[in-house]
Amino acid sequence: MYEKTVTIIAKHGIHTRPAALLVKEAKTFDCDVLVECNGKQASAKSLFKLQTLGLYYGVTVKVFAEGEQAQLAVDKVSELLITLS
Amino acid sequence: MSITGIIVSSGIAFGQALHLIHAEHHLDYRPIPLSNIPQQQGKFVKALAELQAQLTFSQATLNSDSDNYQLIEADLLLLQDDELIEQVNDAIRTLQLSASVAVERIFAHQANELASLDDPYLANRAQDVRALGQRVVAAINGHLDQGFKKFDTPTILLAQDLTPAEFALLPRENLCGIVLKTGGLTSHTAILARAAGIPAMLGCQFDTDLIPNGMPLVLDALNGELCLNPNPEQQAKLTVTFHHEQLRRAALQAYKNVPAQTLDGHQVGLMANVGNLNDIIHVSDVGADGIGLFRTEFMLMNVSTLPDEKAQYSLYCEALHALGGKTFTIRTLDIGADKKLPCLYQEQEDNPALGLRGIRYTLAHTELFKTQLRAILRAANHGPIRLMFPMVNQVEELDEVFTLIAQCQDALEEEEKGYGELSYGIVVETPAAVLNLRAMLPRLDFVSIGTNDLTQYVMAADRANPQLTRDYPSLSPAVLALINMTILQAKSANVKVSLCGELASSPHITPLLIGMGLDELSVNLNSLLEVKAAICQGNMQQFATLAHTALQQDRISDLQQCITSYK
Repeated sequence: MYEKTVTIIAKHGIHTRPAALLVKEAKTFDCDVLVECNGKQASAKSLFKLQTLGLYYGVTVKVFAEGEQAQLAVDKVSELLITLS
Repeated sequence: MSITGIIVSSGIAFGQALHLIHAEHHLDYRPIPLSNIPQQQGKFVKALAELQAQLTFSQATLNSDSDNYQLIEADLLLLQDDELIEQVNDAIRTLQLSASVAVERIFAHQANELASLDDPYLANRAQDVRALGQRVVAAINGHLDQGFKKFDTPTILLAQDLTPAEFALLPRENLCGIVLKTGGLTSHTAILARAAGIPAMLGCQFDTDLIPNGMPLVLDALNGELCLNPNPEQQAKLTVTFHHEQLRRAALQAYKNVPAQTLDGHQVGLMANVGNLNDIIHVSDVGADGIGLFRTEFMLMNVSTLPDEKAQYSLYCEALHALGGKTFTIRTLDIGADKKLPCLYQEQEDNPALGLRGIRYTLAHTELFKTQLRAILRAANHGPIRLMFPMVNQVEELDEVFTLIAQCQDALEEEEKGYGELSYGIVVETPAAVLNLRAMLPRLDFVSIGTNDLTQYVMAADRANPQLTRDYPSLSPAVLALINMTILQAKSANVKVSLCGELASSPHITPLLIGMGLDELSVNLNSLLEVKAAICQGNMQQFATLAHTALQQDRISDLQQCITSYK
């Protein structure tokens, strides 16, 4: 398993539009990518679940994946989490 | 047969009825038979596909950078979401729910979960999720509205309500008229319809069952009537009116290059309300004397970061250049209440209309305010600028504002950046501002009456609630009394007085307003010529007599009668 922890710096958090971009990116990978935050977990491929995590400004988020391309997927998703706004 | 309503955008339209149906379904909550489960799951999947096809279609007409495009993209992702599909299918199977009830349940659960998030901005997304759920339910029940498709024939759209977002997505070709059951004169959809020049009537209590889709209709938004299935005689009569209306509009062009002046030579300043640079270009098209209200918060609406001093400075300079010396009135950022901005963090408030808005917000966020003040002070070096402050209640607020301005001027001097002199004013939009005016007038060059908020605050009636805007309109004895008090006080202090609310954009009220002694009106661009014509066609003495009579009326109905009988 490969994992990374990042902090959200987007002022309004990862709201609908950035979350949609993140989901689209996550869907390009074969492996499952999971996002954990505020004690809740969601697949990065599901906007439905991702929305409920509360990815707002200042929270710490753990991104992890297993299997093929796990590292690449986690790197990409974490990068988006800190750059999208 | 005809039905009456409130005209919010005048004109005449001929077209076929088309209902924009919103989810208002009677769901069957009884458990479904086990044998029915696959059928209900099938209905759900089919509805998702139908909705996706519709959204993809409307998305194709949009620019991929636009907010709407990206929001539709998010809706599409939700409709394809495996977790969501699984949850709904599970609910149908294990709880024996019909597809509609299962969707309603899962989306409501999701919306509640979002609403409980600590961050108000994210929590607000709950509304979007609820709206999407309603659309899925509508699709399941075969009631998916045609809102996003193209209209093949001239169409008059009928709906319970229409949000500004829904309006923005409507195809304009063949959209001739809009009739809504709800909505008020100052609702945002009304303002958009007026700006687009589409005849529209709100508050029209039509019976949906009596008007099937495709029924020929004539919307007479000059007399406030919707005519169903017009007979040849009515059709002919309205066609004549329609042509008269076309001619009248063409005739209005004659007023383009004449000053707004009554027959007996009383000159009125006629300005435009604008919210972006693009509108400023049209100001000279309609022969306005300048801008009476530039809503600067609009420059923050579709951006993720605030424009810095340099960006604002060049925006104001560009506007001054386009105006070529005509009056340029800037209102400082009017943030708060119903105006939520994506680039600013705003605390959630229980009563936002009574909360941190207008000058209260900017005085609480002085860095934001100073950036704007500096940009305006610097731009004033390149042309005349009038600056006004929204929601000022009392003189203490002005003290604070002028202290900040002095600080900005000192800093600019030190940095050798240079600045110009400004004229100063306030938007009079609370009863307190009217009552405290005497103390503030010595510091001011002009005041501008904002009737939309003034009405809301003096009546204690939410301006977004159509029921209330109907019962407590701007054209009422209480609001007129406050306008009159403001004018009389301003006149005695030799301060110019303008009016920039929606009231100013109604040509039939123009004679009254001018008769009350206003020096200026600031109106919507597309009402400007009509208002100018109303000024040019009468004389000041008639106007003053009308105002005198109107101010003596005790009832809203008598006041309306008094306006209608003047002609």
